[in-house]
Amino acid sequence: MSNKIIQWIDHRFPLTSFVKHELTAYPTPRNLSYWWNFGFLAGFVLVLQVVTGIFLAMHYKADIAMSFDSIQHIMRDVNYGWLLRFMHSTGASAFFLVIYIHMSRTLYYGSYRAPRELMWWTGQGLLLLLMATAFMGYLLPWGQMSYWGATVITNLFRATPFIGDQVVVWLRGDYTVGDATLTRFFALHYLFPFLIIGGVMVHLVALHTVKSSNPSGIDLADKDNIPFHPYFTSKDFYGLGIFLIVYCTFVFFFPNSLIEPANNIPANPMQTPNHIVPEWYFLPFYAILRSVPNLVGGVVAMGLSVMVFSFMPYLDRSQIPGGAHFRPWYRVMFYLFVVDMLVLGYIGYIPPTDSSIIVGQAATLVYFTLFILLPYISRREEQWLIRRGLPPEVQALIVSETREISKYPKRRRRGDTT
Amino acid sequence: MNKLIAIWMLFGLALPAWAGDEVKLEDIKLDTSMAAVERGADTLMNVCHGCHSLKYVRYRDLLTAGIDKKKVDTWRGDQALDTAMTGLLPDDTAMQMYGKIPPDLSLMTKAREGGTNYVYSYLIGYYITAEGAASNHVFPATRMPDMLGISGATDAAQRSEIQHKAQDVVSFLAWASDPHEEERRRLGFYVIAYLFVLTALLYVVKKQIWSRLKK
Amino acid sequence: MADSDVLDDDGRRDFLVKVTSVVGGAGAAAACIPFIASMNPSSDVLSKATTEVDLSGIPEGGMHTVAWQGKPVFVLHRTREQIDAMKNSNGGFQPEPDQQRVKQPEWLVVVGVCTHMGCVPNKEGPGWTCHCHGSQYDDSGRVVRGPAPKNLEVPPYRFIAADKLVIGEA
Repeated sequence: MSNKIIQWIDHRFPLTSFVKHELTAYPTPRNLSYWWNFGFLAGFVLVLQVVTGIFLAMHYKADIAMSFDSIQHIMRDVNYGWLLRFMHSTGASAFFLVIYIHMSRTLYYGSYRAPRELMWWTGQGLLLLLMATAFMGYLLPWGQMSYWGATVITNLFRATPFIGDQVVVWLRGDYTVGDATLTRFFALHYLFPFLIIGGVMVHLVALHTVKSSNPSGIDLADKDNIPFHPYFTSKDFYGLGIFLIVYCTFVFFFPNSLIEPANNIPANPMQTPNHIVPEWYFLPFYAILRSVPNLVGGVVAMGLSVMVFSFMPYLDRSQIPGGAHFRPWYRVMFYLFVVDMLVLGYIGYIPPTDSSIIVGQAATLVYFTLFILLPYISRREEQWLIRRGLPPEVQALIVSETREISKYPKRRRRGDTT
Repeated sequence: MNKLIAIWMLFGLALPAWAGDEVKLEDIKLDTSMAAVERGADTLMNVCHGCHSLKYVRYRDLLTAGIDKKKVDTWRGDQALDTAMTGLLPDDTAMQMYGKIPPDLSLMTKAREGGTNYVYSYLIGYYITAEGAASNHVFPATRMPDMLGISGATDAAQRSEIQHKAQDVVSFLAWASDPHEEERRRLGFYVIAYLFVLTALLYVVKKQIWSRLKK
Repeated sequence: MADSDVLDDDGRRDFLVKVTSVVGGAGAAAACIPFIASMNPSSDVLSKATTEVDLSGIPEGGMHTVAWQGKPVFVLHRTREQIDAMKNSNGGFQPEPDQQRVKQPEWLVVVGVCTHMGCVPNKEGPGWTCHCHGSQYDDSGRVVRGPAPKNLEVPPYRFIAADKLVIGEA
């Protein structure tokens, strides 16, 4: 019976062949490590956020007179409302954690390089959408941190040349963050996830065109690919299990650790809390903003610090495969970058003091210097590595894989039959 | 590498500067038993509720949580069970008396850095200054009088009694700010236990499937 | 991609996969419960399950409409003539003696929602008429003309004082 239905559909729509090509038989490098699990996890968290968000929206009220109360209504009166809310608020952090690991993997293994630039750039676009969605969602509880966070971030647009003040008022629909702001943030917070879903589709189509990268950094010959199902489905689900344990530990046991105390006080436009901080996932960028002692300069530096990732395919001049895996200099730079991010995150968290400002400025300098020096260092490193000789295992891999590839000049592509 | 060391050194400088302006809070072991919550509610209704509201808590919630019905009935008087525990002090009187409206207590233990420790330390943080005025270690600018009377208590027995009272009030406030916490933890225990079983199974499945691949 | 990588079935693994799928499926199903439950009335809605009615303001022959669980409830203070007329009839489509529909003959308490399509009938002449589809009810809330299939529902209620009743608990 079900066979007949599938035949009927296949006659009109390429269901079986689509599933076979893109999922079950989709060729995937066998040497992927667990660092390659995080794309799937990001997709899972996206679904989780959309579903919990839709159910929360059934109880939430986007009105400055009611939104704080409606959150308390969800937390106290709605059946399992506390669970939905904590899943959603914890989910935001989980989303960024997963995405940052996903990005770090791409940086470490150099997966952003040709032919995967489009994947990297669509990913960058998705990161911006995610940041915007998270920022707007944070206003919705209408707590003190929501209010002052939105005030500070919308004020960044004062850096727009000539019409800065008008842009800020236009964004808010009011002279201060007010009812109009809350309502439009809610509307867009509901819309953006669907834009993200669209972006994810593009990201996936690009992935299935260029196929997954792998730790060796060399596109593997057919013999080293294995079907996605059951190998990577089983691996992804195992990774999901681990993720859910961590996630649920936070949801059920430490959900309030991810909510700033000040956000349990209703927004008060007349009084700013002593210590306002963004959510942890914005802290490094916030630190960069604060390190530049000039409004426009700070905003530009912060914008650049996010956008600079896009240039990675051009900044990295080395052809040596495998990213940091086989490149000792690049590896040092990668870890320096990670440490620098942590320092910036900490500096972004603490209230500014004389010494913290200096540390923040030093860290900001390191941040940009790393990117600026990358073209030079990567080229020198490549020359050095070639002079010195690549590690034997890379050499062997390159030789065997290229021979393999030249034996089958036409690589398997979408639409080919097995 | 030198850069890294320099950063870590500066990092060390920044730390004490931040920690310096923090007041040391008492560290209490929160008693989440319903008996403590009930005692705390009793104190709160007699001492705090005159000025402070708990607008997100209804008298019925107290019943649901398991507080004695007779007590709840005395507290609510002729108000319906579904009335929120709003304050008894009109806003303009409060403005005249204190210059501000006493904050709502429904979320108090979640709304302060330090949570329950902060509220407890604040409640027992009153002392008499050398000039004979009352002040508070945790919140020197507070307008709230020393309602539990810790600043006037001299002998140890009296102090410890007041400290217990303050602890119970904090137990109640902790319950009020997160009434589903116990349910959440109970459910969480089962969810995590289930996830361990599921993840173990997924691990074995993954292991078996991958074992077919020849190196 | 070598053909040997495509799996053929192996009994032991097959069993394990089945067990894991069942356990995972059960978890996924259980995870749906909070979402479905969140759409049920919340505790503050449930606690509005009772409504108190002060009868002292309703004159003989008069009717008050009060909200109970968001629905209109008709509280009719019936006159001697209305009571007698109702005692003598048994209603229409769904015969039911008047005594079974009231606790005190002077007070008729019925849910003011037409049993046909859920409109609110109007008090017109003796009884009620529903303007949506023309159903008619008598002064005991019994249907006397279709298309409504049933008599108006009598909610659970009880007198807590001579001139006070509470709707929602019997």
